[in-house]
Amino acid sequence: MERYTTDGQSTERRSSSIRIDRLRYTYPGAQQPALSEVCLDIADGEFVLVAGPSGAGKSTLLRCLNGLVPHFTGGRISGRLSVGGHDPLEDGPQALSQVVGFVFQDPEAQFVVDRVEDEIAFALENAAVPPAEMRLRVEEVLHLMDLANLRDRRVETLSGGEKQKVAIATALALRPRILALDEPTSQLDPQSAEGVLQALVRLNQDLGLTILLAEHRLERVLPYVDRLVYLSDANHPPYSGPPRDVLSQVELNPPLVALGKALGWNPLPLTIKEGRRFASQVPRHKAKPAEADRRGMGGRGRRPRNGHGKLGDARHARFAIQDLHYAYNGKPVLQGIDLEIESGELVALMGRNGSGKTTLLKCVVGLLEPEHGGIRMDDESLVGQETAEISRQVGYLPQDPGDLLFADTVCEELAVTLRNHDLLGAPPVQPDDLLARLDLEMLKAAYPRDLSAGQRQRVALGAITVTRPHLLLLDEPTRGLDYEAKRELVRLLREWQEEGTSILLVTHDVELVAQAADRVALLSQGEIIADAAPELLTTSPLFAPQVARLFPGTGWLTVDDALDSVGKNGGATDA
Amino acid sequence: MRKLIGGAIYLLSGALGVLAFIYPFFTSAGALVQRGAAHAQDAPLLTAGLVGLSVVALLVELQGRTLSAKTVAMLGVLVAFTSVLRFLEVAFPMPGGFSPIFGPIIIAGYVFGGRFGFLMGTFTLLASGLVTGGIGPWLPYQMFTAGWAGLSAGWLGQASEWMKDKMPGPAHAKEEQRMAQDVSDADVIVLCGFGFVWGLLYGAIMNIYFWPFAVGPAAQTWEPGIGLGKTLARYGVFYMVTSLAWDLARAVGNVVLLLALAKPMIKALNRFRRRFHFQVRGSHSDLTGLENHA
Amino acid sequence: MLDARVWFVWALTTLVAASATRSPLYIIVLLLTTMVVGGTCAAGEGRRAPLSPLRFAMVAVPLSALFNALTVHLGDTVLLHLPSWIPLMGGAITLEAVTFGALNGLTLTVIFAAFSVFNQVTPVRDLVKLTPRAFYEGGVVLSIALTFIPQTTRSLQRIREAQAVRGHRVRGIRDWLPIVVPLLVSGLERAMGLAEAMVARGYGAVCSEKQPFRTQALIIVGLMTLLAGWLAYLFNAAWSAPAVAVIAIGAVTIGGAIWLTGRGVNHTVYRARSWTAGDSFALLGCAVTLVAACRGRAALYYSPYPVLTLPSFDPLIGLAMLGLLVPAIVTVAREDAEMHRDPDEGNGFSKQPQTSTDHG
Repeated sequence: MERYTTDGQSTERRSSSIRIDRLRYTYPGAQQPALSEVCLDIADGEFVLVAGPSGAGKSTLLRCLNGLVPHFTGGRISGRLSVGGHDPLEDGPQALSQVVGFVFQDPEAQFVVDRVEDEIAFALENAAVPPAEMRLRVEEVLHLMDLANLRDRRVETLSGGEKQKVAIATALALRPRILALDEPTSQLDPQSAEGVLQALVRLNQDLGLTILLAEHRLERVLPYVDRLVYLSDANHPPYSGPPRDVLSQVELNPPLVALGKALGWNPLPLTIKEGRRFASQVPRHKAKPAEADRRGMGGRGRRPRNGHGKLGDARHARFAIQDLHYAYNGKPVLQGIDLEIESGELVALMGRNGSGKTTLLKCVVGLLEPEHGGIRMDDESLVGQETAEISRQVGYLPQDPGDLLFADTVCEELAVTLRNHDLLGAPPVQPDDLLARLDLEMLKAAYPRDLSAGQRQRVALGAITVTRPHLLLLDEPTRGLDYEAKRELVRLLREWQEEGTSILLVTHDVELVAQAADRVALLSQGEIIADAAPELLTTSPLFAPQVARLFPGTGWLTVDDALDSVGKNGGATDA
Repeated sequence: MRKLIGGAIYLLSGALGVLAFIYPFFTSAGALVQRGAAHAQDAPLLTAGLVGLSVVALLVELQGRTLSAKTVAMLGVLVAFTSVLRFLEVAFPMPGGFSPIFGPIIIAGYVFGGRFGFLMGTFTLLASGLVTGGIGPWLPYQMFTAGWAGLSAGWLGQASEWMKDKMPGPAHAKEEQRMAQDVSDADVIVLCGFGFVWGLLYGAIMNIYFWPFAVGPAAQTWEPGIGLGKTLARYGVFYMVTSLAWDLARAVGNVVLLLALAKPMIKALNRFRRRFHFQVRGSHSDLTGLENHA
Repeated sequence: MLDARVWFVWALTTLVAASATRSPLYIIVLLLTTMVVGGTCAAGEGRRAPLSPLRFAMVAVPLSALFNALTVHLGDTVLLHLPSWIPLMGGAITLEAVTFGALNGLTLTVIFAAFSVFNQVTPVRDLVKLTPRAFYEGGVVLSIALTFIPQTTRSLQRIREAQAVRGHRVRGIRDWLPIVVPLLVSGLERAMGLAEAMVARGYGAVCSEKQPFRTQALIIVGLMTLLAGWLAYLFNAAWSAPAVAVIAIGAVTIGGAIWLTGRGVNHTVYRARSWTAGDSFALLGCAVTLVAACRGRAALYYSPYPVLTLPSFDPLIGLAMLGLLVPAIVTVAREDAEMHRDPDEGNGFSKQPQTSTDHG
């Protein structure tokens, strides 16, 4: 691997330590400061993970490093900042672009030009780098990020993970010593996310780049991280230190760490390998509850296969897909799908990218017309019906809930759906009740698009469930959500399940499946190759959640499973 | 002072455009005839070139030395948005010469100002021309018209704000209204009228490109002294036969589109206007006082 | 392939040459050259050709002929007579008028065909890269627009589906609102993100600036000069030459403003295409044609009025017009050379040798 050469022109070594001194920042028009009295010291070459709940100020902190805050966003700022020897407040983002490379969250919104090579060159053109050197740098960076075979491709044809790699490459073209990334993998599926994070680890270990990464998926990067910075809220200074120290103090816990804390493992394990040592000492009882009897916030309401859910006024909504075939442009995508979902059951559909999961959902809801096969709900065939008709019974949450939202207020969004179905006068679900259930009462009059990702998703959910559908289809609902929002979602789904709604959940998120699913179906090359209880997950290393990997052969999927079996579930720890 | 200079540039550029439109009516009595038929075809080329230069001059002036990143990004995205709408016109048969691009261009100019509107107009035509393979000698005229539509919409927006300020009423109520970013019905009516006028104007200006070729001054050299009246009449027939129906359809289509689209689109754009007009005040060493200015 | 600028000059030259004449023989020569060039150079591209020149001709020629015949009543060969009480259209319909109209249509066809070739032969990216320094920001805007058009189209599809799933049906124009508004808003949100990304990568200013007074003065002077020169040209035949000179001065002044602006832009170009011999030859060919078109005005002139006569043909000028064929010749020559190149020899650009990169 090539090493970065120091800039031949300057004789002094550019330091890349970051020093933040009593930084305080308030967004324009905001009441509360976003960052308050932040003091931080980061040495050269450290891999820093910036964590914290949504809205805690991770993005803001990162943007202070290269001067985007306050030069791009406005607002009031005070304090002192030294980044690689420069002062971002004084110098501004243009000067800092050669010191700090920045990668953003949305892979779609970072590219000016359509070709990979030209996009990398754009930054260099702006910096007026001489043409010969430009070519050298472009080659460098393409090889660094392993993108050489993609150089002529149009950016829009790349996958999300590849796009983010191109974004990183573009940031690296200016040879910064520091790389700041704001949730770069939150819009990606786990495989692509893995690729991106591994690339970052390589950059840090091989080249000594200082990396600051804001992430929700802690478990992937924890083993490589030198320092964890945890921002709780604006009134408390951030925790900063080696990962184990910080984790033992804060609430944010990936499953392994949560288990470790609950069982008192010391030193706190960060990888499965470290955890195994402790895990082998845990007594395992194969006891698994035969009947689903655990309700409540921590439990998993699992239903046995042939039973019926709790019947309130839930109708017996039986949903079945029979031998469904769909082809796109002559290429077969779905080749004989058979699936049944009972009333009140949650089925998780998993599979690689491109295996046809979204296509299946779209066929069900009428956006795509299958070649042949049946889709029945309540003994009524859905095939051939108009989407607008089907959507009264079947709610579909698309991957990007923002596509749905266009009204001025949250309650207007719900009204729009009702109006579309001519149900405004007699809504099947009272909008106010629905908003209360979704925890959105306070935000009734808020502009939906200004809300956080989790809140936006709940508004979209409200918009599609206001007609009381019997079947809910969710496409990758946990993308971009933090642990808190995920928990909320699981709670909501459970509530709907108890009313008898069937749910088909397409996801890559194994932990979510472990917590919420009654059944798991695996889709591969257009067919369902497996359809069983979630314990199926434990058998495959590809899909096993952390707890399952830690305790192979026990059938435990979540932290609660393990703790219950050990007898230590005091009720507080979250999965 | 700066404003005067800017105004002068707009005036001169507009004059070139107007001249390009009306010169055929004067040629019969003028020099073109005397110069002889051999040089008769110079005039349309010259006109196209001059209109092109007029657009270029405005572009140089308005593009300035630097456009901020926000302006560039917004322009790019809005141009893409409007171009996609234009492709819809190809997919769904629309009546006559209706082109859905004028609505967004006028609205964008109205909200963000003349400079933005002009740039958006010219670049929309350029971008969709590039993508559809429609680059040709008609492009300067198209860019000129679309640009001016956006530019004048900006003036309209400023005038309307000025008038709202001048209207009687307590200051705080007006402040509230401005904060609420509400779009009144009167605004929409005015915009629709604007759209109607520009729908017709667009057709008329595009005819300048076509007209000299269809009935060139060569024909008139054989009718010396044909007079302004008859030339106008001939142009009138030409217009009616070829483009009036088309232009009316376009103008009416603009009105319909604006009626439907104006309010929500202006509201949406206004939300971004706040973030857009940010300016850094004060010297860099005085950053504690950085404020966002609406 | 040839430089995009050269293609532009080529198309312009065809425009000028076609506009300079109404003689059918020359027009046919130009049409043939355009078709030949189009056939050789654009064949492999398979790109956007919205309307083939043939179909254009099928519409333009008859329409033009009809219009001219109905409104111009000069000429000796009368075909039929419309009653003279019809305003403007009443009178003799003559063969000469029909011919003239048809010739006009043909001229338009040639122009359309030339630009059609231009569109097909130059990739859009190259065109955008052509923007002169002074319009650098404009070039960036265009780049962004071109990058976002496919994205916006996909968004449109997704939003339509998302709204359909809420029970939305598209029946009238108001029903497009729930689709267009989220499209707009999400686009604007992306624009903000893009602006941030651009600034983070060192793109110019965070705030817009205005032109310095010097440049503005140049623009004003240039525009005034253009206006004055044009008015003079239009209204006084005796001032032709000086009027054209004045117009030229005006154009140069505006060019000066452009140059001044360009100086302030500080950026380099990544893949500058180098000028080849083929480019020079093509330009030379265009120059020859241009000179002929300008000098041979008298020879090019043809009018069917008052009596339809056989047009004259000056072989020298015809030959000069063949200068427009050079791009085709260059392309064919290149393809020939490529076919005969030794296959073992390296390809035109030296590809990076495939080193094994170790993922340390």
